[in-house]
Order: sequence, then C-alpha cells, then structure tokens
Amino acid sequence: MSRDELVKLGSKLDGVELVEYPDPWPVKGTRAEKRAERMVAFWFALSGLAGLAFVVAFIWWPAKYVAPDEDGHLMYSLYTPVIGLTLGVAILAVGIGVLNYTRKFVPHEIAVQERHDGGSNELDKATILANLADAGNRSTISRRPMIKRSLAFGGGVLGLALTALPLGSLLRNPHAQSDNKDGLIHTPWQHTKEGEKVFLRRATGTDEVSLVRPEDMDAGAMDTVFPYREGDTAHDWTKMLLRGDSPVMLIRLRPADAARVIKHEGQEDFNYGDFYAYTKICSHVGCPTSLYEQRTNRILCPCHQSQFDALQYAKPVFGPATRKLAQLPIAVDEETGYFISTGDFIEPIGPAYWERKS
Amino acid sequence: MTTQPKKRRGRTKLRRRVAGLLALGIALMGVGALYSVLVPEPQTAQAQQDPVMVREGAKIYNNTCISCHGANLEGVKDRGPSLIGVGEASVYFQTSTGRMPAVAQSAQIPEKPRVLSPQEVDAVSAYVQANGGGVEMPEEKGAALRGEDPARGGELFRFNCASCHNFTGRGGALSSGKEAPALDGVAEEEMYAAMLSGPQNMPRFSERQLSPEEKKDIIAYVKSVTDGNNNPGGSPIGGLGPQSEGFIAFVVGIAALLGITLWIGAKH
Repeated sequence: MSRDELVKLGSKLDGVELVEYPDPWPVKGTRAEKRAERMVAFWFALSGLAGLAFVVAFIWWPAKYVAPDEDGHLMYSLYTPVIGLTLGVAILAVGIGVLNYTRKFVPHEIAVQERHDGGSNELDKATILANLADAGNRSTISRRPMIKRSLAFGGGVLGLALTALPLGSLLRNPHAQSDNKDGLIHTPWQHTKEGEKVFLRRATGTDEVSLVRPEDMDAGAMDTVFPYREGDTAHDWTKMLLRGDSPVMLIRLRPADAARVIKHEGQEDFNYGDFYAYTKICSHVGCPTSLYEQRTNRILCPCHQSQFDALQYAKPVFGPATRKLAQLPIAVDEETGYFISTGDFIEPIGPAYWERKS
Repeated sequence: MTTQPKKRRGRTKLRRRVAGLLALGIALMGVGALYSVLVPEPQTAQAQQDPVMVREGAKIYNNTCISCHGANLEGVKDRGPSLIGVGEASVYFQTSTGRMPAVAQSAQIPEKPRVLSPQEVDAVSAYVQANGGGVEMPEEKGAALRGEDPARGGELFRFNCASCHNFTGRGGALSSGKEAPALDGVAEEEMYAAMLSGPQNMPRFSERQLSPEEKKDIIAYVKSVTDGNNNPGGSPIGGLGPQSEGFIAFVVGIAALLGITLWIGAKH
C-alpha cells in the first residue's frame, strides 16, 4: 500500500472522514507563495540575528555598575534593556515564524469523526472480568502465602521509603544549627563567661569597630546595634550581622517622654537613663520592626503593621502581635564609657515556636 | 626726738594706705584673673548671626510662625511645639520644603510648594538659631554634600533609613496616616538637615551617631537611586521590589498570552 492509501485506511479505521483537505497553494510557484515563504524565513532569520545579538550583548556589554554621574552610565543602564530586548525579539520571532508557517503552509483540513456512545457493552464487561479472574487464578498466587506475604513486605517497605523521601525533607531540627541546645531561647548577647563585656556595636558598612557612647545619640534617636566582644574578628562581625537574633534597637527617648515611661515588672533596671534597648525582631512572625517614630514613640513593624509602645516596655498596641518586644538590659561600662549589655534577653525573642512557654 | 617718731608714724600711715590700696588692687585683679581663668564659657545660645538678618527673621517669624510657636519660641499648646533648641537645620528643612508654615493640623504636615523665599528661610533660621540654639547646617552646599563612597552610603542607608524610606528611597507608610516620604527630588541640604534635626517622626542622627562623612555617603547613595537614576530596565514599576514586579509580570503577561491565544483561535 502506498502512503496515501495507508493514511486513508488509518482515518477510516478511526471512523474519521476527511471532508475537505485542500492544498494551501494549488498552483505552485506563485508570487504569493514565494512571498509567504520569504516572510516565514524572515522571522526565523530575525530570531537568529536577535539571538546572536543577545549572546554578544550578554558577553561584552558593560554590565558592571557605573554611578549616574560617571562616564559610561548610559551604556551600563542600557544593559538590562538590551539583553531583554534581544532575547525577547529572538523568542517572539520564532513564535511568529512558526505561527506564520502553520497558517500559510499547513493544510487546514475539515475532518468528521463519528461519536461513540459511552461505556462498553455488557458482553465485553463480563468477559474482561472473567479473563482477569482466570489469570489471577492460573498464576496460583492465592495458594502461595509465602510469596504473597513477602511481596506485601517488599512492596510496603518500598512504599514507606518513597513516602519518607518527600516527607523527610520537611522535617528539620530547629536546634541543629544553634551553638547550644537552648539556641532558640538565647541570643548572641548571652554572656559566655563571668564578667564578660558585651558591647553595643553599630554597623558602619566597614570593618571599623564603632561602639556607642550615651553622648553619641541625640534625644529622639535610634540606632541599630549588634553584640561585640573584645577581640572579635571581622569574620565574627559578619557572623553577628548575619544572625537573625542579634540586631537590637537602641532608642534614646526625648526627656519629656522618658518621664512618662511605664516599666515592666522585673525589667525596672534594664534601661540606662533615657536609653532603652529592644530587640528588632517582631514577636509576630519575626520581621525587622525598626520603624521608630520618635514623637509618637511607636515602633512599627512593616510586615503586618504591628505597633509597639516604646514608653511601655514595647508592648503591642496595634496589629497582630501579642507579645512585647524583649528588652535588652544595658549599662555603661565604667572603664571605657561605652554601652554594654549586662546580660541576655530574659525571654525568647521573635515569633512563637512549639516549646515556647510565653 | 619727738618729731622723728611722728614723722615716721606719718610715713608709715601713708605707706600703709598705699600698700593697702595696692594689695586691694592686686587682690581684685587676681580674683578677676582667676575668675576669667576658672569660670567656663557660658553654655547659653549666642547670637552669632548677622544682627540685621536676625531682626529680619524676627519680623518674618512674627508674621508667619508666631500664632502656633508663640512669641518667644515657647510653643502654643495643641498648636505647635516649642522651637527652643531645634536649631537652624530644623527651620531650614521645615520651611524650605514648604512643610512650614503649616496650613492645618494633621497626622503629618504635608510637603507643599515653599511659602518663604530662600532669603526669608535663611533669616528665620538665623532668628531661631540666635534665640533658641540647636543643630546648625553644614557649611557645604549642594553637590559638595555628596560623599565619595555611595556603596558604603548604601550599607548605612539600609541599616538606618531603609526600614521607613524603602531600599531605594521610595518612601513608605507609617502608623495612623503618617508616612515616610519618597526621596525623589530632595536637595542635599534638605536631606542633611532632616538627618540632623529629625523632622516630625523621623529619628535624629547626630554628628556623632552618623559622622558628616557617613551622612554625605548616604546622600550620595540616595542621589544615585532616586530621580530616575535607578531604572536600567526602563521603568522602575514603583521600585517596590519583587511584589509589584511579579504582579505586573503576571497580570500583563497572562493578559497578553490570553489575548494572543484568542487571536490565534479567532483566525480559524
């Protein structure tokens, strides 16, 4: 059988009848056909050229940051548009080319297929059931309990293993990464030995050690500080900056506001004069809550709009947070005049976890 | 014999008087010298500005500021705070950005076209500085306030400013209707004055907390990401990060794909 006959036979067996199967270009070599061919070729070629331009721009176009007032800023700022544009044109042109080819050169046939009614007939249903039951019976599996049980064992264990694979990646020990087993309760502010001085260090964007003295801050000021111990290296500092539980907001209240402060029981001596230090980690889900408003004395968390009152032990006054921000006990080191913390937070910082009591 | 003692007595009397006067004089001078050495410079605010300018400033103050800030900068209850100790930096920021004189009480005094001319701003600043003292403006002006190291400025900006003003100075919401403004088009002096004086609810950053060099680096960073300097892709789409970009890519992209699909289907 020739190919045409085979095609026809296939359609017939499937109950498909081709009503119309026109050749898109019945007369060969017309100008319209040539034009359509050129059009498709043009899009594919354009795609190739744009792709080539993308590769060239991706490799050689200046991508390194150039400040706005320096030479070459325009070229730098064109980097993203250029690679986006070239790659975009390359993909788009391929798409348009394929579309055009399909529309112009693939025949648009009209085929009619008989619709079958749903469901097999009763005879088929009865025979297939009998067939399956017969096969099961002839395999003698029901008479061989040892094979049955070992198969159940093997299959069951394999099933368990396949379940454990995706589930296991969801199980994590939250304490595995911490330095000690109470890692969720303690922070890097914890004193590791007797009489240790943990200074409040501000981040300056350099490795220079910048500690805070009371006179450094005006009334109505806030600074973000991290723990620093004498002898800490630049590496230790990077670690402190990366740790989620180390940032602390050091706030100097305005004197008139400081007179209205209400302290929490057990935290009466945690402040130093008008200076109060609260953790930056929100007690709701742990966002950095550092939007300090110096006149309303509110600390706002940008994620879910929880607000804490800096005049009342940072208790929540608005939003979803239910716990106060933990307060860090601070004092001024008599030898050096710098702020130090006199101990760790007395409660866990940040959001809830299973073992949390408060 | 009789005159001798008399004479001597007279001489000694004169000598005693002269010596007494001399001793008094020396003692007084000594006390004066000691006083001037030992007593420290008075800590009160001193008028160092041009007195003509201060008088001019007083005139403007009495016309535009007095009803809310009081005749002696002491403030008026429920209207305006005391201006004693706010300094010229605060006055400069508030008036040159048009926030002051304010139109009405609100959660936050909005920025508007400036009412006072630059000369008037300088005069009122001089008046408030002369009478209340406080933080002063830096000597440099304009581009001289841009630091050398915008990269470090960026680090400092993210530590100290980004929580309210957004990573690229787009601004953001605060509590109860207040907001941290976007930093587009803010002059270098205004940024410096704002950091120093802490206008409205912004915390203050003294020269010891953020050194002048650090402040200038921050200004250099802000200038490098605002006023359209930070949209290499053509449009910053609000500059709010992945949320707006993802949203717009999704909405625009899906709509475009739907449109194309419908177009392809409609042709046949």
